[in-house]
Amino acid sequence: MIQLDDVRLSLPSDAGMVDILRGCGLTVAAGESVAVVGPSGSGKSSLLAVIAGLERPTGGSVHVAGCRLDALGEDALALFRRDNVGIVFQSFHLIPSMSALENVALPLELAGRRDAWARAEEGLRAVGLGHRLKHYPGQLSGGEQQRVALARALACRPKLLLADEPTGNLDGNTGRQIVDLLFQSQRASGATLLLVTHDMTLARRCERLIAMADGRVLTPVSVAGRAAEG
Amino acid sequence: MRLPLALLIARRELRAGLSGFRVFLLCLALGVAAIAGVGTLKAALLAGLAADARLLVGGDVELRLTHRPASAEQLEYLAEAGVVAHSIEMRAMARVGDERRALVEVKAVDAAYPLYGALSLEPADARLGPAATDLPPAFAEPGLLRRLQLEPGGVLTIGKQDYRVVARLLREPDRGADGVEFGPRLMLPLEGFAATGLVQEGSLIRFVYKLKLSQDRTVGSFLRQLSTRFPDAGWRIRDSAADAPGMRGFIERLHLFMTLVGLTTLLVGGVGIANAIKSYLDGKVATIATLKCLGAPGGLVFASYLAQVLVLAGLGVLAGLALGALLPVLLSGALAGLLPFQARLGLYWQPLALAAAFGILTTLAFAVWPLARAREVPAAALFRSLLLPPARLPRPRYVLGVGLALAALIGLAVASADDRPFALWFVGGAAGAFVLFYAAGRLATWSARAAGRPRLPALRLALANLHRPGAATVGVLLSFGLGLSVLVAVAQIQGNLAAQVRDRLPAQAPAFFFVDIQPDQIDEFRAIAAGLPGTGETVAVPSLRGRIVAVNGVPAGQVAVKPDGAWALRGDRGLTYAATPPDGAEIVAGRWWPADYAGPPLVSFDAGVAAALGVGVGDRLTVNVLGRDIEARIASLRRIDWSTLGMNFAIVFAPGLLEAAPHSFIATAKAADGAEGALEAAVVNRFPNVSAIRVKDALEAANRILANVGLAVRVTAAVTLLAGLLVLAGAIAAGHRRRVYDAVVLKVLGATRAVVMRTNALEFLLLGGFATLLATAVGSLAAFVVVTHVMHQPWLFLPATMAATALGGLAATLVLGFLGTLRALAQRPTPLLRNA
Repeated sequence: MIQLDDVRLSLPSDAGMVDILRGCGLTVAAGESVAVVGPSGSGKSSLLAVIAGLERPTGGSVHVAGCRLDALGEDALALFRRDNVGIVFQSFHLIPSMSALENVALPLELAGRRDAWARAEEGLRAVGLGHRLKHYPGQLSGGEQQRVALARALACRPKLLLADEPTGNLDGNTGRQIVDLLFQSQRASGATLLLVTHDMTLARRCERLIAMADGRVLTPVSVAGRAAEG
Repeated sequence: MRLPLALLIARRELRAGLSGFRVFLLCLALGVAAIAGVGTLKAALLAGLAADARLLVGGDVELRLTHRPASAEQLEYLAEAGVVAHSIEMRAMARVGDERRALVEVKAVDAAYPLYGALSLEPADARLGPAATDLPPAFAEPGLLRRLQLEPGGVLTIGKQDYRVVARLLREPDRGADGVEFGPRLMLPLEGFAATGLVQEGSLIRFVYKLKLSQDRTVGSFLRQLSTRFPDAGWRIRDSAADAPGMRGFIERLHLFMTLVGLTTLLVGGVGIANAIKSYLDGKVATIATLKCLGAPGGLVFASYLAQVLVLAGLGVLAGLALGALLPVLLSGALAGLLPFQARLGLYWQPLALAAAFGILTTLAFAVWPLARAREVPAAALFRSLLLPPARLPRPRYVLGVGLALAALIGLAVASADDRPFALWFVGGAAGAFVLFYAAGRLATWSARAAGRPRLPALRLALANLHRPGAATVGVLLSFGLGLSVLVAVAQIQGNLAAQVRDRLPAQAPAFFFVDIQPDQIDEFRAIAAGLPGTGETVAVPSLRGRIVAVNGVPAGQVAVKPDGAWALRGDRGLTYAATPPDGAEIVAGRWWPADYAGPPLVSFDAGVAAALGVGVGDRLTVNVLGRDIEARIASLRRIDWSTLGMNFAIVFAPGLLEAAPHSFIATAKAADGAEGALEAAVVNRFPNVSAIRVKDALEAANRILANVGLAVRVTAAVTLLAGLLVLAGAIAAGHRRRVYDAVVLKVLGATRAVVMRTNALEFLLLGGFATLLATAVGSLAAFVVVTHVMHQPWLFLPATMAATALGGLAATLVLGFLGTLRALAQRPTPLLRNA
């Protein structure tokens, strides 16, 4: 599903170019769930951005769901995401001027689905928000907003589900509920899951765990061997 | 204690800079600059007019007689009063050989001319005095020399006399202050002018006497004595004390109109001011809540932010005043060529003070409301999210404050206008338009919400942008709509006036007016015209000049007359006599006399003027013709369409009275495009005393004047639209963060750039389209009212002008919106998506 080879990412800053990813390699099979852990600034989120096609690598190759992303233009990447990827962010990133239902229906509409509204409603019910369809993000709690974001990420039944610290803004209990929902949905749909997190408890729920430091993927850690780190 | 603290807080807050206030400052400066500039220009023009009045009149007093010179007794009286300069003015044909000819405005002057100022000549030392040359000398305008392909030193013929051009006439101090001129100036010596053979009885000749009064006389006392001594002289008097009333009226009307346009600019800018303050205060919620947590009362918060706004308003007003005061300086080059006098440049404090007052009052009217709302931000806003309490009316004292500022604004606008009823109408219209556009904004918001969920995602997103909380829909509709309305109105009014001259007339207008045809020439004239191929209908009628001196025995000066008919009593008018009604005459009252009528004097009168004078069939008019008063009874009233440029006379006499008076004929002739030259050559070469006025040339002269005035008005109106666009740009800039965020999230969800562009384009198309539609309707209605009720002209619907203005406005919205979208799309997504 994901094949990264020697991926590098440098971005301009006031102090000159900053190397964010320094030659990352990674292979993830379809249907796998993988956690990416590492200290702040290690490049986890940038790696996720490259895999989502939000950031174009400065070097190396990126293959996701059969597409070579580093060769695609901005619009082709947008279409790629529409057809293949669902993303959940720590800060939810819902559109404040749209109701929960409209937020979830949006990717379906963009994909030209005629049943957008019915499926969006179904998705919100599945995350337990059937009673909050017409509420705006500002009227929802953090946990509710993240459930809307999850329903939106799952709306198009993506092959790849990306989550960037999905519980980072939530309290422990609410966070657990969201994570349960996330894994349930992933298993039910058979999607590949790549989860960026600080939380080792959360990371251990994935089948595989990889660690990053200083813009590099450290030796892949198998599920069996992760006890050594814990 | 409280005020200094408020100022202290204000100063600290202002240290952050003015970046959020660019639109605020620009809107205010633009509006103030428009009003200050127009006011300063008017002051400079009127000062120039007053200072140059003697130059413009060419003396302290000018007396004009048509057809006949002053009597010896009158001349003697004038000579006793001071120095007199005699001159003769008339139209004539200047010819060079048989091939080249041009209609000229002849002015034959004596040695005393000019009494004030000097002619500007090339060479500068040329004289019209006793001939240094073989032929009498002449000064000619460069335009005439070009037309006749002549150089100084060349010879041209006027009537039966040859003249040698000794200098180019570059500037004449007393030119251009009166009436429309059809040709370039040719200046000749008065002595020997009779040799041209043009001074014939009944020809349209003006005998002009300019006076430089002796030291012991004032203009007023002289004029009083003059009217006592010669009550029935029938001369038209202009004096320097009245500083060219026509010109003054024109400047004042133009000033009023442009000031009102300037006020609309401020009104439009006011919306931008309110928007800017609101979005500034939205960013200050946390600061205000913190201040309140620390114990600051609401009044302190209000005072502090009001102080900030006033400091900024002061900056904007100052910038506007500086720009406005400089406007006449910037324009002086362009004006010099258009006006017969010099504008007196300088600092005129009254228009600047007025503009400053308008600027501050507008700021208060639009700022107090959002400031009063911000005062209500609760301290608890710090602990809750940004969900503010629902909007409600500010406290009564602030509502009262807004009302007072508005009342002061209206009062000042009306009180400072030269024409108060018109200003009141404007205020009413502006308020109506404001309310209409506000309501339209609410309607647009409501409709966008009610439209539900169209299948097209871009459309749904566009609609959501229009009705989401905090959308600028109402503000944009208001400001952009008002600005565009003004431009649509002005474009249509000007288009109507221009179309009157350019399009409507020539279809019916003849090719030529031939004037000063002598009675013994008229039959031959008709024969020449009839014998030329391509020459169409020729109409020749007797022509005299006369002046209405009394109505039912009441002297003209004391007759109560409505403004639209006042022209008929000013100076002399053309009149004629006829046995049968003119072609196409529409008799609306009374009856035309029998063709063989012989009896007491009767006239047929213009129905429009009759209504203005309050007279009808059976009433008596006293008309002075060639110095003789003739009292005639009104036998019929005719409706006359003056706009056809055909042969129309307000007064037509019954036969039997004027045939014996010296008079000439005036003729119109239609001619096919290629035949015009041949007709002119045939007539003018045969009759050197006859002048041919090419109607196209005359229309072009009128068009040039209209174009210059129109340009000034249109530029002012464009400033209003500019203010509207500024507000629009401000609204787009204020929504920029949201737009960038939306664009990023949309892209994350798989929207291509095209979808984001389409969404934004649709939003602006809907908003701009609705505003444009309304503005077109409102502007056209305003133009219709002004054209039909203020200018009393027939209304011409101009779809092309309307569409061009409207589409231009719409395109501007789309371009601005498009630029905003491009900026939003250019943002990299990941920084915004990083975990907060």
